[in-house]
Amino acid sequence: MAMHLNRRTVLRLAGASAISLASPLAAQNDRLRLAFIPQENPEKLLGDIEAIAGWLSSEIGLPVEGFVTIDHAAAVEALRNGDADISFMGALPFVLAEAEIGAVPLLSEVYRDAPSYTGRIYVRRDSGIRSLADLRGRDIAFADPISESGYLYPLAEFVQAGLIEAPGTAEAFFGRIFFAGGYQQAMQAMAEGLVDAAGASQYADLLLTPQQQAEVKWIAESAPIPSHLVIARPGLDADVQDRFIDAMLKLNAPDNREKLRYLYGPDGYVRADPAAYDGVRDIARRYGLLE
Amino acid sequence: MTRDFLKMLMVSFASALVLSGSVAATPAKETPWLPEAAAYRLTLFLGNLEPLPWNDIEIAWTEPYRGSELSIGALAWLDRVSDIDPARLLDAIADEDRQAVFAEATRLIALRIEEELDRAIAAEDPARAQQTVRTSRELYRAFADGIAAAEPAAAKQIGLAWLELNSSTGSAGVLGAGVTSADRDTMAAARAVISGYIAGNYLIDDFAPRRTLSALPETAVLSGRAIEVPPSLPPGSDIFDQDPLPRLVLNFEEQGIDETGLPLVAYGDMLFDSAQIFGGPARDLGLACSTCHNRSDVNQRLFIPGASHQPGAIDVDGAFFNPIFNDRRNDPLDIPSLRGLRFTGPYGRDGRFASLRDFTRNVIVNEFGGDEPTPFMMDALVAYMLEFDFLPNSMLTTDGRLTEAAPEAARRGEAIFNTPFASLGDRSCASCHVSDANFLDRQAHNIGSVAPAYEGARAGALDTPTLLGTAYTAPYFHDGSLPTLAAVVDWFDETKSLGLTGAERADLTAYLETVGAADEPYEAFDAENTAFRLAFSELITFASTLDTLLPRRDARHILLLTDTVAADLSADASTMSNLAARPGVYALAEKLAEVSAAVRDEDWTAAEASWTAFKAETADIEERAF
Repeated sequence: MAMHLNRRTVLRLAGASAISLASPLAAQNDRLRLAFIPQENPEKLLGDIEAIAGWLSSEIGLPVEGFVTIDHAAAVEALRNGDADISFMGALPFVLAEAEIGAVPLLSEVYRDAPSYTGRIYVRRDSGIRSLADLRGRDIAFADPISESGYLYPLAEFVQAGLIEAPGTAEAFFGRIFFAGGYQQAMQAMAEGLVDAAGASQYADLLLTPQQQAEVKWIAESAPIPSHLVIARPGLDADVQDRFIDAMLKLNAPDNREKLRYLYGPDGYVRADPAAYDGVRDIARRYGLLE
Repeated sequence: MTRDFLKMLMVSFASALVLSGSVAATPAKETPWLPEAAAYRLTLFLGNLEPLPWNDIEIAWTEPYRGSELSIGALAWLDRVSDIDPARLLDAIADEDRQAVFAEATRLIALRIEEELDRAIAAEDPARAQQTVRTSRELYRAFADGIAAAEPAAAKQIGLAWLELNSSTGSAGVLGAGVTSADRDTMAAARAVISGYIAGNYLIDDFAPRRTLSALPETAVLSGRAIEVPPSLPPGSDIFDQDPLPRLVLNFEEQGIDETGLPLVAYGDMLFDSAQIFGGPARDLGLACSTCHNRSDVNQRLFIPGASHQPGAIDVDGAFFNPIFNDRRNDPLDIPSLRGLRFTGPYGRDGRFASLRDFTRNVIVNEFGGDEPTPFMMDALVAYMLEFDFLPNSMLTTDGRLTEAAPEAARRGEAIFNTPFASLGDRSCASCHVSDANFLDRQAHNIGSVAPAYEGARAGALDTPTLLGTAYTAPYFHDGSLPTLAAVVDWFDETKSLGLTGAERADLTAYLETVGAADEPYEAFDAENTAFRLAFSELITFASTLDTLLPRRDARHILLLTDTVAADLSADASTMSNLAARPGVYALAEKLAEVSAAVRDEDWTAAEASWTAFKAETADIEERAF
């Protein structure tokens, strides 16, 4: 084989091709360009983008083009230079993008009636661990060092409990800290007894088998974490923003809910409340991610 | 920044390893497999069937597994992502050399793990390193259950190595913030643990001959130890209940009689949902009567590679479930509905069993390898199944005539249905599907739908099936070869030279669709009346038989009940939408487990105390159980 193709390069090529179709690169008002962040099977995502872009086009009355970026940083860069008008985005990269390029929050995802969720610390029921303090000297698996619910917020509970002075001193409290690569990997490591605890989303135990779910419990829960959002580049025409928001809110109607599966599968959307992300801004500062 | 996979979390739960596990009515939805790992697992599964379905093994590598999110098969995927040449594997498949296929496929997966690990070590940025580690680990999943079964300590050591490896890749941060660099020494050390084990067990030149293909490590096989790998179903299997869920019509229930007042029926209801009455592997996979016969009807989605030729069909006398009962014939059958069972005998597609009791025992003991059921179990199961009624249909009178609610086309079709045809020996459709006898005649006829198995075979007669409820049980015929009722009409018209016009065929189809219709064919769920609530209510009813069994000190049947219901309550809790009430359901399951433990200790006072506590806690949680 002449070159190594893998999921990431495939995505990059797919994204590049879509971007090239969306030329010229300067911001335009005759079309709307949406940036998507890959999180699953890229083939499926490309199909999803096509489906949702077609529906949005008919609703908004503007051609809508979607493309896949490599990651959040690339999506923010696309917003900055006008390659994208709107992007799907996590809460943490949003507050950083807001600070860096003045990105505007439009919509927040809703899950189980709330535009927020929490992070939890899970242990096995038979572990005898009842409180965060019991985890002193024990091993813990988190999802990823820059995951809100899979690290930043759960770890803040240890700070809140007075067990850790600051996020940077966590190593001194725990035996080992692992970053397992995702919720499921962290939860499996805990459920299988590789580590004593896991820090992950409030829904992460649903990633375990039914039998494992009965064998684990959570002992601490973080403050609410505002959910992922849809954000716009600074300067996007206000009328276009409104039309986009109105169309997206139509997805909450029973007849349209099926289309939500093309969009990371939330239960619906609400207008974003910028103030709801103050907690994320605060925690980003505490972790030294935001000045 | 890892995008939080809320979608995945909210939609389903997932098993990290393979579709396997202890008794449970609730199967876990699988995490998708990488194509080559899926093909490997399919190869292991199919390679243990006799006769070995070589064509299916080839397809396992050339086409995406059923339900795969990717549109390409393993070979095309390998061509895209790997430098490894699968030629030797393909040669082994072409040669139909089972041991060579095992060896080449195992080496291929091992090489892929190594290939991705090489990429992880060479990666210059953390995101790329993490992605390759993830890929490598997803490939390792193909071996994981074998290692865990044979060498738990090694499995744990390797599990920690994966954690260590991922943790030491560093972090790309987000928008330039939070960037940390890789710890390459730790990465190399963790990789060495994984690669060392792979090299010694899966990347070797000469594998010991395998009687049974499995992911067991070579050293464990060479040791000669008896190691039991928990049975698992291969990628593409689907043992979830049908959605929408068929509506169950029980005669007593429609009359307003509470099932808790019918302990024998309630116990039979429990047995119908219990995997415990079967032997391995069905028992270990959580398969029960209700897995195929959802709510007394069918399960149109059920599919097990090698045993199903299409969804909703299964070969219950093949090699997988009970090898001693393997008839060595690839003859999967479309799952029949059990509605109105007391009117539909004899039983079996060819009516081979006159008695429902004999038929049921054959299913338990021979088809699914269970122990001999007790007379009480048989009485209970039969008592329950005899309560299965047909779906109410307001377009049909009880003696099978159309009511005013029936459409006009159906009336025209009814006339055709009752018309004798010379090509049918002056018989009509209604001659066999007798309208005032639930549209069947309790006879077996050879209508030419079964291809003769050998020259001169006189073995194609099949029991006349009822037409009631058939609008919801597609496909049709014993092998599910006809997708619609219209296709059934066409088949008769063509093979029996009925000479129907297009309009007549449409009318006859409308009649069949009307006869086969129902007022409420499916269970209706809403925000609080959930599938879990239905399951919870059933499980509590099952448990109510303890009021009868405990005073009788019937330990055997109590334990069968408590083991089934405690496991199912606990497993079903994972499907609750009211997540806050889950701990209460787990506590209930524990109470039932306490009944079990006390009965095993012959401490009847403690057993009754736990049972009383269970009932009190049930009353407390019932409203929140959704």
